[in-house]
Amino acid sequence: MLEYIIRRVLTFIPTLFIAVTLIFVLTRMVPGNPANAIVGVRGVTAEKLDALIRQLGYDKPIQIQYIEWLQKIAQGDFGTSVFFKKPVIDIILDRFAVTFAIAGLSMLVTVIIAIPLGVMAAKRPGSILDSVLMIFSTLGVSVPIFWFGFILMLIFAVNLGWFPAAGYRPISFGFYSWLERMILPVFTLGFAQVALLVRHTRSSMLEVFNREYITTARAKGLSETKVVYKHALRNAFVNIITIIGLSFALNLGGAVLIENVFALPGIGNLITTAAIRRDYPIIEGGIAFVTLVALVMNLFVDISYTVINPRVNYE
Amino acid sequence: MLKRIIHNRLLIFGLTLVFIIFFAAVFAPYLTKFDPIEINIDNALLSVSGDHFFGTDEMGRDVFTRVLYGAKISLWVGAVATFFSGIIGVIFGLLSGYYQTFDLFFSRLVDGLMVFPGLIMAILLMAALGPSTNNVIIAMIILYTPRIIRVVRSSVIETKIEDFVDAARVLGANDMRILFIHILPNAIAPLIVQVAFCFAWAIIVESGMSFLGLGLPPPTPSWGNIISDGRNFVYNAPWIMIFPGLAISMAVMGLNFIGDGLRDFLDPHLRNVVIRH
Repeated sequence: MLEYIIRRVLTFIPTLFIAVTLIFVLTRMVPGNPANAIVGVRGVTAEKLDALIRQLGYDKPIQIQYIEWLQKIAQGDFGTSVFFKKPVIDIILDRFAVTFAIAGLSMLVTVIIAIPLGVMAAKRPGSILDSVLMIFSTLGVSVPIFWFGFILMLIFAVNLGWFPAAGYRPISFGFYSWLERMILPVFTLGFAQVALLVRHTRSSMLEVFNREYITTARAKGLSETKVVYKHALRNAFVNIITIIGLSFALNLGGAVLIENVFALPGIGNLITTAAIRRDYPIIEGGIAFVTLVALVMNLFVDISYTVINPRVNYE
Repeated sequence: MLKRIIHNRLLIFGLTLVFIIFFAAVFAPYLTKFDPIEINIDNALLSVSGDHFFGTDEMGRDVFTRVLYGAKISLWVGAVATFFSGIIGVIFGLLSGYYQTFDLFFSRLVDGLMVFPGLIMAILLMAALGPSTNNVIIAMIILYTPRIIRVVRSSVIETKIEDFVDAARVLGANDMRILFIHILPNAIAPLIVQVAFCFAWAIIVESGMSFLGLGLPPPTPSWGNIISDGRNFVYNAPWIMIFPGLAISMAVMGLNFIGDGLRDFLDPHLRNVVIRH
């Protein structure tokens, strides 16, 4: 088991390396010089342009830029933002708590709602509840989430007035004022994930229900609740947890849109504004950071297999 | 049996939805008397009425008209991106599944491209390329090709050990003939299903990118752009953003139903092969 964990951690490193290299290659793909693109947006004199090129290191040969960039990010240094004139890593750490809270909370909400629904659907395949859930789950992946966010805002904030429409207040200003601004974003983001997870829980449970140990458990006279939750769900969980891990990565992508809709100062909003302003150090650093978090999450999921199901095939 | 009929019904329902959107896209100029771009301030922010089925936006443009023309743009962008992802994905998927040495290096690159949460990758590409319709298409091709490659690759790996492939080789067929005549037909079913899902996803991602201001440049009436225009009027003119969102949902749901229906129709075992997201 330990060997598996070590091997898994070792495969994490080349993947991260490739991802980081892709970020570098793609941002340097900018026609001409990235500094020109920055200037094109804001308009600066020729001397200032030269200074900017030197400051960002774009005057050096591309391979030197690449090596220097790798060395820097390995030390957690993502450079300095062109717009904010502050170290990128400070800005990212400042903003990431918001994104992490939205993505994490919506994952929690997703699990609480989707797993019982998926189990219920699997218990009676072909029933009305099952059909309704399956149609709902297609709907969930078909509705654009940013639009769904506006619809929720329109209903629950504008018409019913239950929650503030948008904006953010740090948790230090009071838990309740923080929470009431998080509820709509979290449920918006959770909607599509619930759809996805219901589907997967259902199919994993259906697969497990046909196994002999379930028949044995029933034959022993165990209560249906015990059979479903203790014997079946635990075994189906290996598949389900993959989707939960995946949904966290998807949430990080979805958070970009949700933060925009609800005006939340998260990392997604930071990256989008940076992309419009062409603030390349922030784009590179922000995306590298989000990708790192997604990869670490996947790593945890893989390692958690060994805890949930010790029989997992380590090869 | 019952299930097969239900899913076929889903397939037909999906085809109907997509056909309606396609019809709207093709016949947009005949279905409305307004212009999608021309500004007419006198008519700004009119509510839903017999004249303006979906109301008007802040510049007095008819939202119904813009949604119709938007269908053309959003479907076009999605279709072109999906088409090229399909072509490139099939070629590299075949090579990657068939030649192990090529695969060893190439699969790492594909994995690398797939670790980015989808929209984040799109933002990165748009920041590098700059906003334009062609660049949106290029960004989506880079986004979806890896998914097609994976699906084709796994079919090839499954098929290439079959006896009929050996038989073809014994008969003297070269690699290209084996790949395209003998192996590719076996990969078609999962490929078609994946293409339907990619098309659906392309429409959603394009609208998200346009909404963020990193997609098609305004005043192009893509569905994402119309929602983006309407966001400042959520309170007093919600119709501007409601209707394009419904159009997106309808198109994407149609394509998802087509994907689900085709999957069950062509081969029920595909459930675990095709990547839904």
